[in-house]
Amino acid sequence: MESDPADDAALLRAHGAGDPHAFARLYDRYDPSCFQFIRRLLGAAHSDAAEDLHQETWVAIARNAAEFDPTKASFPAWLFTIARRKVWDHFRRQKVAVLASAHEDAAMMVPDPGQSPLEQVQSRELAQEIVAAVEALPLEQRGAFVMFAQAGLSLEEIAQVTGVAVETAKSRLRYARAKLRQSLAGERSAHV
Amino acid sequence: MSDHDAAPDPMDKAYAEAEALLGDDAARAARRARVLAAVAQAETEQPARPEPRPAWRRGGWLVAASVAGLSVLLATQIRPPIVTEPPAAPPQAPATPAAPATPAVTADTGSKAPAPASGGLPTRPAPAPRISTVAPEAPAATSEAAKVEPAQPPAPAPPPPPPPLAPQVARARPEAPAAPPAMESRSSARDDISEVVVTGSRIAPRAEAPSAVSSIGSPDRAAGRLRAAAARGRTAEVASLLARGVPVDAADDDGETALMKSVRAKHPEAAALLRRHGASLDLRNRAGESARDLAESVGDPELKRALGLDP
Repeated sequence: MESDPADDAALLRAHGAGDPHAFARLYDRYDPSCFQFIRRLLGAAHSDAAEDLHQETWVAIARNAAEFDPTKASFPAWLFTIARRKVWDHFRRQKVAVLASAHEDAAMMVPDPGQSPLEQVQSRELAQEIVAAVEALPLEQRGAFVMFAQAGLSLEEIAQVTGVAVETAKSRLRYARAKLRQSLAGERSAHV
Repeated sequence: MSDHDAAPDPMDKAYAEAEALLGDDAARAARRARVLAAVAQAETEQPARPEPRPAWRRGGWLVAASVAGLSVLLATQIRPPIVTEPPAAPPQAPATPAAPATPAVTADTGSKAPAPASGGLPTRPAPAPRISTVAPEAPAATSEAAKVEPAQPPAPAPPPPPPPLAPQVARARPEAPAAPPAMESRSSARDDISEVVVTGSRIAPRAEAPSAVSSIGSPDRAAGRLRAAAARGRTAEVASLLARGVPVDAADDDGETALMKSVRAKHPEAAALLRRHGASLDLRNRAGESARDLAESVGDPELKRALGLDP
């Protein structure tokens, strides 16, 4: 992420020391990416829970601020680990099979179309299509893609958050992009 | 794929822009107020920073009491009975231990410290049979003897009574596995030295009938070996592990099965072998991919044939 990890740790320490503004600054820095990560992982069917899980995540961050160790993980990695766990707990409570994917992964190796027109999102409809396509990805691929594309986590951080090898994180990201291209190309041809 | 994947992709940018476009500032502000209020409330509700609980609160009383009890017990055991009866010829204590002042006292010491019977108290036949049946007391008795009678170097109190018990125990172990099905050993053992014989006969059936997998290691480890062998195309090892009952579809933390590993690494023989043992083409890993998908993306015709995907 663009923010300085050491700065994040300093804000957390300041919060622990009683600085009333430190936590708000930290929150403002990561609120959009964290909320959208939770929301996209939940998908449309569970989007109602996004606000609650987001709040629970930040309360957990505040409560456990003293336990954060910047030498072990960056703050965003820690934050997304907690957020992801909240989503998984939610799924478990709702008895959602986390590993199941309703989508067939027929053609993984979709050629890169190169200069894609999607580079410029010009309309709200197209933006909604993209978000819908992201929400249709298998859960782990979706998480990896959102963390990388939107939250700016590195592959190493994504691997740390999800508890897998870096190669696996890479593979998920690659498949996610390929599937997005495929599904959005399908959308476009359907509209034409 | 390494460098390419780590680099930003047009799709990433498109998604980030889509999220920015769909973002609702008003909703975000409301959410911010709510979350920060919840955090503040949580902070005030929290009694204080998590204080480390003092050790004595965590059931430490029980430990302390046990330690104290043990210390007292130890102290009473170690302290020689002679100290409690100074009138019984204190200067002569080391040389001629405790000339029986009163019958009651001598009988007591005899039952507590039977070992000195070997050198110190020859005129006491009664304790001997007790020692042979009560094994745990023997070591304590020897140490006690060594402490009470420091002036007897030639007789360092080798405890003669325990040996009869020790060989019995040693013999019981090898015999137990030899007759595991004979349940009568349990009842007879109960009359004799119940703990040793009974545990031996219980352990024996478990040790005698280990599963083939457990002989390779834990089931997880065996499954890991199967996946590793499949990934390296070691068909002989794969066959051997499967023959020993390792589950063919056991997946690792990423949901990857041995078949997926063999497909990824392009080992058609290993893949075919796994298929013949019933490995599933349709199980999915945590990334949502099945062995069938992987075979399609690898695109090796030989591999596909091995999996039965191509005629």
